[in-house]
Amino acid sequence: MGADPMAAVSGDRPIGVAIVDDHPVVVEGVRAWLATEPRLTVLATGDDPDEVLRAAPEADVVLLDLRLHGRMALDKLAELSATGRRVVVYSEHTDPQTMLAALDAGAVAFLAKHEGREHCVETVLAAASDRPYVPPTLAGAMVGDPRPDRPMLSDKEREALLLWFQSMSKASVARRMQISEHTVKQYVDRARIKYTRAGRPAATKAALLARAIEDGLVRPEEIGIYRSQATHDRPTP
Amino acid sequence: MSADLNAPAHLTDAPEAPTRASVPTPREPVSPEALAAPAAVAHASDRGARIAAVVIALAWHVAIALPAVLAARAEFAAPAVVLGAWILVAVTGAVAGVRLLQGSPLPPWPLAVLLVVVDAAVFAAAGERQLFTAANWVWGTLGWFFVLAVWGQRVMGLIALLSTHAVIALVAVLGHGAEPADVARYVMYVYGTFSLPVAVFVGSTVIVGLARERAAVSAAGHAMAAERDAAERGRQERRDRLALVSSAAGRVLGDLATGQADPGDPEVQRRCMLAAARLRRLIAESDDVPDPLLHELRAAADLAERSGLPIDLVTIGTPPPLPVEVRRRLADPLTGTLADARGWARLTVVSGPDEVVVSLVTPDREGPEATGPPPGEHDDGPVQYLYERDGNIRWAQTRWRR
Repeated sequence: MGADPMAAVSGDRPIGVAIVDDHPVVVEGVRAWLATEPRLTVLATGDDPDEVLRAAPEADVVLLDLRLHGRMALDKLAELSATGRRVVVYSEHTDPQTMLAALDAGAVAFLAKHEGREHCVETVLAAASDRPYVPPTLAGAMVGDPRPDRPMLSDKEREALLLWFQSMSKASVARRMQISEHTVKQYVDRARIKYTRAGRPAATKAALLARAIEDGLVRPEEIGIYRSQATHDRPTP
Repeated sequence: MSADLNAPAHLTDAPEAPTRASVPTPREPVSPEALAAPAAVAHASDRGARIAAVVIALAWHVAIALPAVLAARAEFAAPAVVLGAWILVAVTGAVAGVRLLQGSPLPPWPLAVLLVVVDAAVFAAAGERQLFTAANWVWGTLGWFFVLAVWGQRVMGLIALLSTHAVIALVAVLGHGAEPADVARYVMYVYGTFSLPVAVFVGSTVIVGLARERAAVSAAGHAMAAERDAAERGRQERRDRLALVSSAAGRVLGDLATGQADPGDPEVQRRCMLAAARLRRLIAESDDVPDPLLHELRAAADLAERSGLPIDLVTIGTPPPLPVEVRRRLADPLTGTLADARGWARLTVVSGPDEVVVSLVTPDREGPEATGPPPGEHDDGPVQYLYERDGNIRWAQTRWRR
């Protein structure tokens, strides 16, 4: 399953997680999931992102329910991502548009609420070290992205995403594509990194990309993000 | 009055028999036959005008021209030419009329040339004394045969033919040493030969156009109403299923809350799983009018679920309109495998404009293969079928590429 996501996390300090959800039962459920992983510790929970982060400003990862009090919190997500907060969105709203909009807004990852404990723990661990993790539902949204300005994925990347979405088993995808599981994960992660180009620039996207380059997952010229972001940032006359 | 009117009118195909389960039957992609309905209406309207034109031409030729020709046959410069030309036009006109009514008209321009030649010959053969009488039958009759010859063509063709006729007549009139009265008569005759055929020709074109337009508007209205009905039925179905699922989920939750059900009991867990899977599927249905392929797969999923199999059906994108055959090849192998599945199932559909991939994953277990093609890779026309089991999962996939 590729490089150990924990490799770059410094020191012995556990990863601090803040949970934002307006359903106490969900907060308790997620807390129970994360408690099975000793490297994770939940620092604060609540239904208001600002209050939760005031209580735990040092949180490494924010698990954010996208729908808070009946409203989609995409603006809040963009705001947090712009300031470099690693936000993992988890939601029962798994229509592809919502998932892609969350990535565009700067979410480090998108997790469907039904995807279960293992994906949740994996996603948070990966997010803490600015590494991508693509659960199957998100893979489906990426492979079916109909937008004309979607990132250009290679055939192998598309196929890996598609098969991962279908089977939810990297071992089975590896067997089908006759490659190693490690390579499957690389294809999927590279596709995710290409999505750091979509939407507005955000500190989290830059961090994901920088780590991917550092890890040798992608080369800058494969992404073309530097020039593209510069164009984005330049004020229009 | 364009070429497509000559095609036989198709009626729309009988709708497909509804498939098994209670999901509303979706809209079929608009068939070319359905689009041909306005053309069929226009065709019917055009047929009436054709009959009128053929009847006018032949009736005039027989009832008005023939008696006059016969009465004046001794006074023509060349009676044989005038009579022969009459017979030639009668025969040709009858054939042209029949062919026009059958929808396979004679080639217009050779026919027009023949009529112009006859015109000139009759003017030459009629002689000065019969120039303006009914016995010079080309005045009254030929314009109508021009109409038959160029039916379905542009009106300019007819006007060109009538103008040629006017020039031929002018040459004849001047050739016989015209007096001012003759010129006045000539102008009147030309006006008479022009006005009625052109009016009938243009009128029928306009009527056919209007009929086609009205039929198209009405067809579009019907299609919209049908779509609205399907959407309404779909919504009603979804509401009903939501009520059903909600009550099932509500019962489990109620039992759990009152302590009647033990969360550790595998049967209770199974009930929870089923209720959750159903709710997820309902939430995931975002199409207003279900696509036929998704409809088939949903029906199969509902069926499998009713026999107690928790199943996830995830769709990404909307399939493009697919031929029935392709749809069948995409869905059938998987619905067969699904009927045989145990434990759980994950059915996914990823659609783009040029590709549709359907996949079914179920846990592998001992025992024979599911019903369906043997394991491996098969190409069934434009649809590729893949099936494998690896001890962990059974994985069936069908893939259509444009």
